[in-house]
Amino acid sequence: MGSLLRLSIYLKRYAWSFWLAVAGMLISRIFEGFIPLFVKNGIDNIAAGQTALTSGSIDYQSALNTLAAPAISIVICVLIQMGTTIAYRIAMRRIGVIASYDLRNRLYQHLQLQGPIFFSRHSIGDLMARAINDINLCREILAGAIRMTLILAMTALVGLTFMFTLSVNLTLAILLPMPLIGAVAWYFSKKIYAASYLVQEGFSTLSTFVQENLNGIRTVQSMAQEEREIERFDQVNQEFADRNLDLFNMTSFLSAIMPILAASGTLIIIGYGSVLLERGEITVGTFAAFFSYLALVLWPVREAGSLVTQWQRGASGTARLFEILDYEPEIQDQPSLDFPEPSGRIQVQNLTYRYEDKEKYALEDVSFEVSPGETIALLGRVGSGKSTLLRLFVRLLEPTSGQIYLDGHPINGFPLARLRERVCMVLQDPFLFADSLSDNIAYDDPNRDHQEILEIAHAAALEETIEGFPEGLNTVLGERGVTLSGGQKQRAALARGLIRRSPILILDDCFSAVDTETEEKILSGLKKVRSQATTLLVSHRVSTARHADRIIVLEEGRIIEMGSHTDLLAAGGFYANLEASQRNRLDLVSRLDEAAS
Amino acid sequence: MAVVRKLDHSIFDAHIEGQAMNVEYLKRIFAWVAPHKAIASLSIGLVLVASTLAILLPVVITRVVIDGVILNQPDALLPDFGTNELTAWIAGVTGWSALVSACVIYAVFTLFCHIFYHAHRVTFARTVLCALRDMRHDLFAHMEHRPASFYDRVAVGRVMTRITNDVQAMFELLMGMGMLIGEFVPFFLGLAIMLAIDVELTLYLMIAIPVFGLITYFFRQATRRVYRLIRNTVSRLNQNLQENLAGMQVVQLSNREKRNLQTYREINSDNLKHEQQAIALESSYGAFMDNMVNVALAVIIWIGGGSALQAEISLGSVILFSQFVDMFIRPIRVLGQQYNILFRAMASAERIFQALDWHEQIKDPEHPIRLPARLKGAIEFRHLTFGYDPGEPVLHDVSFTINPGENLAVVGPTGSGKSTLIRLLGRFYNFDDGTIFLDGVDINQLTAADVRSRIGVVMQDFHIFSGTILDNISLGNPAISREQAIEAAKSVNADSFIEGLPQGYNTVLVERGQNLSQGQRQLLAFARVLAADPEILILDEATASIDTETEQVIQQALKTLLKDRTSILIAHRLQTIQEADRILVLKHGQVKELGSHDQLMALRGIYYTLNQLQFQEVSLKEDIT
Ligand SMILES: Nc1ncnc2c1ncn2[C@@H]1O[C@H](COP(=O)(O)OP(=O)(O)O)[C@@H](O)[C@H]1O
Ligand SMILES: Nc1ncnc2c1ncn2[C@@H]1O[C@H](COP(=O)(O)OP(=O)(O)O)[C@@H](O)[C@H]1O
Ligand SMILES: [Mg+2]
Ligand SMILES: [Mg+2]
Repeated sequence: MGSLLRLSIYLKRYAWSFWLAVAGMLISRIFEGFIPLFVKNGIDNIAAGQTALTSGSIDYQSALNTLAAPAISIVICVLIQMGTTIAYRIAMRRIGVIASYDLRNRLYQHLQLQGPIFFSRHSIGDLMARAINDINLCREILAGAIRMTLILAMTALVGLTFMFTLSVNLTLAILLPMPLIGAVAWYFSKKIYAASYLVQEGFSTLSTFVQENLNGIRTVQSMAQEEREIERFDQVNQEFADRNLDLFNMTSFLSAIMPILAASGTLIIIGYGSVLLERGEITVGTFAAFFSYLALVLWPVREAGSLVTQWQRGASGTARLFEILDYEPEIQDQPSLDFPEPSGRIQVQNLTYRYEDKEKYALEDVSFEVSPGETIALLGRVGSGKSTLLRLFVRLLEPTSGQIYLDGHPINGFPLARLRERVCMVLQDPFLFADSLSDNIAYDDPNRDHQEILEIAHAAALEETIEGFPEGLNTVLGERGVTLSGGQKQRAALARGLIRRSPILILDDCFSAVDTETEEKILSGLKKVRSQATTLLVSHRVSTARHADRIIVLEEGRIIEMGSHTDLLAAGGFYANLEASQRNRLDLVSRLDEAAS
Repeated sequence: MAVVRKLDHSIFDAHIEGQAMNVEYLKRIFAWVAPHKAIASLSIGLVLVASTLAILLPVVITRVVIDGVILNQPDALLPDFGTNELTAWIAGVTGWSALVSACVIYAVFTLFCHIFYHAHRVTFARTVLCALRDMRHDLFAHMEHRPASFYDRVAVGRVMTRITNDVQAMFELLMGMGMLIGEFVPFFLGLAIMLAIDVELTLYLMIAIPVFGLITYFFRQATRRVYRLIRNTVSRLNQNLQENLAGMQVVQLSNREKRNLQTYREINSDNLKHEQQAIALESSYGAFMDNMVNVALAVIIWIGGGSALQAEISLGSVILFSQFVDMFIRPIRVLGQQYNILFRAMASAERIFQALDWHEQIKDPEHPIRLPARLKGAIEFRHLTFGYDPGEPVLHDVSFTINPGENLAVVGPTGSGKSTLIRLLGRFYNFDDGTIFLDGVDINQLTAADVRSRIGVVMQDFHIFSGTILDNISLGNPAISREQAIEAAKSVNADSFIEGLPQGYNTVLVERGQNLSQGQRQLLAFARVLAADPEILILDEATASIDTETEQVIQQALKTLLKDRTSILIAHRLQTIQEADRILVLKHGQVKELGSHDQLMALRGIYYTLNQLQFQEVSLKEDIT
């Protein structure tokens, strides 16, 4: 419940509106309470008129005139009530939508600060649900629940006051069954809350299932698993329908039991009221008015339960939302410090990293230095920590211990944006947006000119691809770039990185789906363009690694070899073995060559 | 090349807004309800009974209690639907007073009224839920069978919302219809009673109907635009957020945060503006509808009171009228709400039917030939020409054969059409220019499912599902035992890293397997195909993200697996393909070279150059020495 207090900032921010709305509510309730009273007056006057007319003490016109006052009063009450209702509803709902507007912006901004750890904890579906449902719940609290709570309390209070003034005995009698009605409503609201939670959960299971299935539809189809997937879907689908039915049975039962219990109040009015009427303690008008007041008092009693659940849902929604908003970003930005003039020297000192869901260290005590303009190739087995190491350079991850220094300063001292301008990383997974190719390449700055984009596309050996496209650079790609071949995707992602022309370039296995010839072309092109620049690249190909000034071999998160191509060959370790596996091949090749000549 | 009609997938992106009533759609929706007709009719019968009882309740209070018992002026001319007689009868049989009898009648009527209502709601909900479950099933099954060419063009989100939210809108529509029945029956019954009591007063009150009706109409007109804008901005907000989340690392590495936030804020402000407009309209309308009803009370007192004074009607009738007021106005309100729902539901229905009517599919033959239980494994491509977009061929007149048990390697620059070859062999795209034979049978004469269950492809763009590692290997196929799955993982050397995880094979992977390294993900996708033990094995750059050492382990395992099994191997690293029997060089979608390694080397063509390039440095060194 504590999280609900967090929403109070919006009430404070719009305190004037809020308190005026509260005043409006009170006024509207009081005038609502008056209406049955005037109806009662009217009915009493009719009854009195009827008797007077039969006894002949007054004429029809003057008897009719006695009805004017109550009728006009009712109209006045209605108008006042309507006016105030409009005002307080607008005021409260405004606070609600402004709050949801503000929360959305906050959430969006906050999500942009999060790192991969956060995103592996929260799936996109989960975050979308929070952005949509939970913000709505917050808004409902501000715009609805607060208002309803106040209104219901005031209604009950006003109703009871009027009833007591009319007849204390009848009021007390009517109040007898109220606790029971309230308790039943309460009990069922709890159950309904639980059931509706299950329904929501069912819906999100359904959505997640469909989303995942469709995302992997090519895999599903290629393994001929469609029918099994449909069967699995049927289970989820049936479960959702069942949960809905459960919920519906319960709400329907509550809607049935409530009026049945409420009928006890009506029966008390009929039975006890008639007795009082006979005794002359109340009038016919009062008798009729009590039916209206009964409705007035019953309303809060009935609604209390569902209102409580609305508060509960709101509380859990707010909690879920603020859980995200309070999440301290893994990566802290340092907007204050600025970059000194860079020399481009990198030092990695005792760098260690462990993913929190793993026991093993992904990176352990890694230290090395890179001088400006140097090219370093990283090699190592799958899962040896290459990507982890590179992600630390651009601060997608924060080291568990150890530090990376750029020009002698720890990189977490620089503003993130500046750091990432200086150090550009092309990720292993070539994610592309469903936009045009040129939008994807110039993603960092949409205002880049066409010439520049073409130039970079050329450097990434994309020109042939572009020529092959019906609309060239403006061809719109499918979701995640599905309409490109694997190698084309990688080169498009590469171009997106190259266009930033940053002094330090990090390529995480960006050529795995690119043929050797093209790779060769790109790398030698890069060498020319970026002769001053520092490059770190991951590759599994010796043919790529040999371009590098130095080669670092990682194994289970540790550096096992480091040195130039020749050094490592001489050392006779992992790298030499790798090379040897190709040497076999080469021997074959040269032997064949000899044979041919 | 045969002319392929270009399908316009953009209709799936079109913003379908409120649709007026479409009888055709309603008819189609009712096709799902039809199987549950019996329960539906029962449900409607129940609501008729319940409504009748509901309308009698105020009659009992006013006619019997007020007029009969309290004022003792029963008017035989006024309709009471036999309630007075019933009271008298009960009083006669039991010896209770009239008042007690009336109370008993009231209590019993209330009880049965709500029992019937409850039964109605439950049966109705059951009908609707079953109908929609079936609709959802049909829709999902339909989408599950749309081909890759469809999903190349249509975003997954577009399809997903149809299966989830749009079907949910049908729920609202159908439940709303049930509600309307529940509202209108008492309305007409009440109206009949009121007319029978006092035509003049009823007519005065009926003025409210056109007034409220008109106001509702204008309100709907006014909000229609605003609601559309709100829905529009909301869906843009969600889409923007979703895309931003999916590509978050790219966003961050490109320093796009500010710009993206700016765009989002702009849409959000738009949304806020429209929301505020809607609030003003809704609050005014809501307050009007809630409160203006009570003006009717003044009318009843003034006009009904006048009639009562002239003894034209009883005092009980005046009170009865005041009790009917609410019932009188409710149908208009509900209709107003339903109008909105209907509007939205029609748009949803259009989206649903759009998807259901989309018949793009892999053409399965009418009388498919069944493949023999055991394949020999001969594959032939004959004069195959294919393009994803008509008129832009990717493959040109491709012909070659793979003998049973042969291992063929395919090399060629990226974008030359290697993966496309595989996709056609797996019948992921329709083609009609040229033929592919599997064991001498034209694969277009086979069902896609039959072909795919024989051919295992380790795809270049594989997908890792959230769930355990084991599930990702077996894909939930009960025919694959845990042992088999582990066996498969071992043969691709994934076993060692999996065993190193805290929960081993039961480790739960997140969306797209993002808590693994890229190479580890690829190993899983590899193991998945091996576990299915296909008769023909195809590896499309299956080891691209995998280091050479692991690859060698895999190759060792593959040696036994590939023995006597037809296979196609696509790779860029030439040492990967050293075990292949023959090599096919594809460039610009054309077969350039085909033969054994030795033959191609002797040819001194593309393959030779590739080899030279890859081992350039070593050769250089040898030149020097
Ligand atoms: N987001 C993540 N969450 C948890 N564990 C991860 C994550 N990314 C990688 N790992 C684990 O860390 C280890 C190193 O991964 P990575 O650096 O990606 O290896 P690679 O050398 O193949 O690039 C692997 O064992 C992998 O399973
Ligand atoms: N789904 C698709 N829709 C349209 N064009 C595609 C699609 N998939 C691939 N292409 C295009 O077809 C050509 C061949 O692609 P592909 O067969 O994937 O090449 P690769 O030899 O690298 O595997 C490329 O130019 C690519 O852009
Ligand atoms: Mg990696
Ligand atoms: Mg490919």
